[in-house]
Amino acid sequence: MTYFILLLGLCFVLGGLAVASNPSPYYGVVGLVLASVAGCGWLLSLGVSFVSLVLFMVYLGGMLVVFVYSVSLAADPFPEAWGDWRVVGYGASFVLVVVVGMIVGGLVECWKIGVVTVDSVGMFSVRLDFSGVAMFYSYGVGMFLVAGWGLLLTLFVVLELVRGLSRGAIRAV
Amino acid sequence: MNPHAKLIFYMSLLLGTTITISSNHWMMAWTGLEINTLAIIPLISKSHHPRAIEAAIKYFLVQAAASALVLFSSTINAWHTGQWDITQLTHPTSCLLLTTAIAMKLGLVPFHFWFPEVLQGSTLTTALLLSTMMKFPPITILFLTSHSLNPTLLTAMAIASAGLGGWMGLNQTQIRKILAFSSISHLGWMTIIIIYSPKLTLLTFYLYSLMTATVFLSLDTIKVLKLSTMMTSWTKTPMLNATLMLALLSLAGLPPLTGFLPKWLIIQELTKQEMTAVATIIAMLSLLGLFFYLRLAYYSTITLPPNSTNHMKQWHTNKSTNPLLAILASLSISLLPLSPMILATI
Repeated sequence: MTYFILLLGLCFVLGGLAVASNPSPYYGVVGLVLASVAGCGWLLSLGVSFVSLVLFMVYLGGMLVVFVYSVSLAADPFPEAWGDWRVVGYGASFVLVVVVGMIVGGLVECWKIGVVTVDSVGMFSVRLDFSGVAMFYSYGVGMFLVAGWGLLLTLFVVLELVRGLSRGAIRAV
Repeated sequence: MNPHAKLIFYMSLLLGTTITISSNHWMMAWTGLEINTLAIIPLISKSHHPRAIEAAIKYFLVQAAASALVLFSSTINAWHTGQWDITQLTHPTSCLLLTTAIAMKLGLVPFHFWFPEVLQGSTLTTALLLSTMMKFPPITILFLTSHSLNPTLLTAMAIASAGLGGWMGLNQTQIRKILAFSSISHLGWMTIIIIYSPKLTLLTFYLYSLMTATVFLSLDTIKVLKLSTMMTSWTKTPMLNATLMLALLSLAGLPPLTGFLPKWLIIQELTKQEMTAVATIIAMLSLLGLFFYLRLAYYSTITLPPNSTNHMKQWHTNKSTNPLLAILASLSISLLPLSPMILATI
């Protein structure tokens, strides 16, 4: 089980690398999907299954879908693909950074990493993440309202930035 | 911009600032910072000029990265100490990360590169907001966590900011960039004293806000953006240009004016803490800034520009001056005699 969680962690970082070294957004989104799936798996290993499902649905099912639709409106007819030299360069520098970190940090200590997993102790009477979300609506209502306002504000900001077609801030194609 | 959208953005700026400065929990502080960042993006890119949009994007990227660092710092601290209190930041990695994050938010060297370009891309009133109100939440967080931050790093960043702010402002002709570098060097003065006397940091910030608001609002009244335009602007409102000269010299920190008070108190506090070399270095580095303040002051009151004018005043005087500007100008010029009262109340 530990090795599976470590694999998820590795996939998370590799997904981040894929996003950062993307030749075009359509291929970068693949990295985002991989990173978020690995992140959800990691959350499951910590025991908070509800938050993991919420992340899956909102991030992958909501935001990523909207992103893909809006990016496809401005599609590049011939995007660069994964075999580009830029991607290889990013991957090589990432490996270089990791190797330098391992050398500087000591080659032996880096293998002494462990993972704490939660085995299925069964459902408590109230699980932590479910009750946490419930408390977000009761004791944490101040933060809830502020977070809600922040999200609404994001909507207004985005609408203001893309308003105006070709005279707008984001000159629409 | 749609007036309703404008209202929402300005109200969100106020909300974000209020949330951060009144918070005890790291999540609320971070939320306030994010709301501020989001709300000012459309205000920077309001004119839809490519330069303004570039400034907005640069601002967003830097501030988002800094907010992420704030979040990392607070979660590492919560992981190790189990609590989210802003004043109880004890884990060393968190302290270092937070110092870096606040330096990025404020524009301290070496994270200052975005600031002149963002100010240059925005209008004068938006630049005023960026220099004063957007700096207030990070300085509050700096004030609250001042006892946990790394003194060496802060002092190094402060001296570098005072130096680079002065140096890089020397070759500028665009006034918004000059004021950006002036802001960077003032932030250096604010940061150098935060470990020893955080109240002096706040005092420096308040007085800097007063003086820079005077300068920005005066420039907005006479609609001047670069040095060449400033030379022929005295005909619009001659009295305002004279006041602008005094406000600029006050920003420079010259004695009978208000701007001298924070520098004086900071040098005194540094000397009391046996940091005499640091006090000398930072005072010398502000001389670099004095050059461009003097140049600005000279150009604002020059009466023999390259193209001579036939009349003393412009033929149409439609520049109605803001009453707020009158109050701010009086405060930024003449608050020095009140320094015992100011010291007693901060």
